[in-house]
Amino acid sequence: MPLIRTTSSKPTEPPAPSRAGLTSGSSEERWTAARAAGGSAQNVAALGVALTQEQDPRVREAIFTSLALINTDESVEAVLPHLRSDDAQVRAAALDALRAMPERTAGHLPALFADADGDVRLLACELCRTLPLAEMHAMLGVLLANEHEANVCAAAVDVLADCGGEEILPALAQCARRFISDPFLTFSIKIASQRIASQRPDRGE
Amino acid sequence: MVNEAGETDEEFRRLCDFLYRRTGMLFSDSKRYFVQRRIADRMAATGSSSFASYFSRLRSDVDGEIERFINAFTVNETYFYREDHQFRCLSNDLLTRRLNSKLPGAPIRIWSAPCATGEEPYSIAIWLLENWPQVDAYDVEIIGSDIDTAVLEAARAGQYGRRALMRLPAELVEKYFVQTGPESWRIIDELRESVRFTPVNLSVPGETKGHGVFDVIFCRNVLIYFDPASRRVAAENLFENLAPGGYLCLGHTESMSRISPLFEVRRYADAIVYQKPGGRADG
Repeated sequence: MPLIRTTSSKPTEPPAPSRAGLTSGSSEERWTAARAAGGSAQNVAALGVALTQEQDPRVREAIFTSLALINTDESVEAVLPHLRSDDAQVRAAALDALRAMPERTAGHLPALFADADGDVRLLACELCRTLPLAEMHAMLGVLLANEHEANVCAAAVDVLADCGGEEILPALAQCARRFISDPFLTFSIKIASQRIASQRPDRGE
Repeated sequence: MVNEAGETDEEFRRLCDFLYRRTGMLFSDSKRYFVQRRIADRMAATGSSSFASYFSRLRSDVDGEIERFINAFTVNETYFYREDHQFRCLSNDLLTRRLNSKLPGAPIRIWSAPCATGEEPYSIAIWLLENWPQVDAYDVEIIGSDIDTAVLEAARAGQYGRRALMRLPAELVEKYFVQTGPESWRIIDELRESVRFTPVNLSVPGETKGHGVFDVIFCRNVLIYFDPASRRVAAENLFENLAPGGYLCLGHTESMSRISPLFEVRRYADAIVYQKPGGRADG
């Protein structure tokens, strides 16, 4: 029988963690420094600075992860500005990092929904997924009643289609009436409402 | 409110917090039944008369209860040749491409994490012996790792019931197992000794470094149980443990593109896998 052999030598050890700073050295050194920085809340400021300068997407991911691991109000504040980055990859990474800090991020949602930038309001809808249902309804209900951009409302509808409860159905209906001339949004609301209604606990019983 | 396992909503939340801190696994109310069943099992095993007394025992780590408790919460049910299309991809595409990037004589390293009771790493070994003609020409090191130390012991023992073998052809059972009872089979020693098992926690930064660098990592059906932060950490750990150009195989319901942009998606005839950039790019 042919053999599958375990090697007698030890596996290759990765290089020892670099002492190089978060903003100097090679990508590999910055990656290592960024990962190591996640162990202490004292590193948030340095991580925040590094985030504004870092060009390597891989290192940037590690910085976002460390900020998420530290999970303080300061971490959230370091990440939030990147929601309005011109780089879609950075916006997505910031969103993902904020999703990993739901309790800390929740307090910032009203400000995000009041932001003048529609893209920020749109991304804020995604951050509502982790809220308790009543809070999600309150937050997105206000948005459905007042938001003037159909794309932002559509983002809210997407979230509600997945996570919403029947209490939000009137707000969805009202939003559909406001955007009666937008066939995509009215269709999205119809589908979302049907899905939410079909999940009522008393359905079929 | 008090529920079936006797715990209040607040106690349930505290227990989930505890589990999260220890393992990175996040259990919401929707998984409450899953959690309750394991609490009930551990309460019965420890003779605890109430949830409160059990939780007290847990927090105090009486008789190593924390480890037993974590072991009860990790998902260990699997079977040989599960999602074997990925093994086909391994032998048809991944290994050939990895060999193009390796120095002559360098071993091929394959990691199964988490490996549960060993079905996956042993499946990889059997699959390569049966389906990869070059298996004799290379040193292939297969390592299975898991957070659950109890299942690692079971993996080392290599003893399985009929259910675990259900997808293996009879001739392979005959070839690679010894029947030890009416419903139990043990992996033959030669194969058992060819797989090494180690403990690992994928959700702790840097925890995996000591395992070295692999050509292919199988990390199937575990990331879905992690919270977003732990998932990011695990993705970065896996990235560090892959050689440039190395491959990551996830479970069929998991998508790394939603977990981390660190990897590139590769589509082969039998599977979609994820590749660490930096080696010879293959599409």
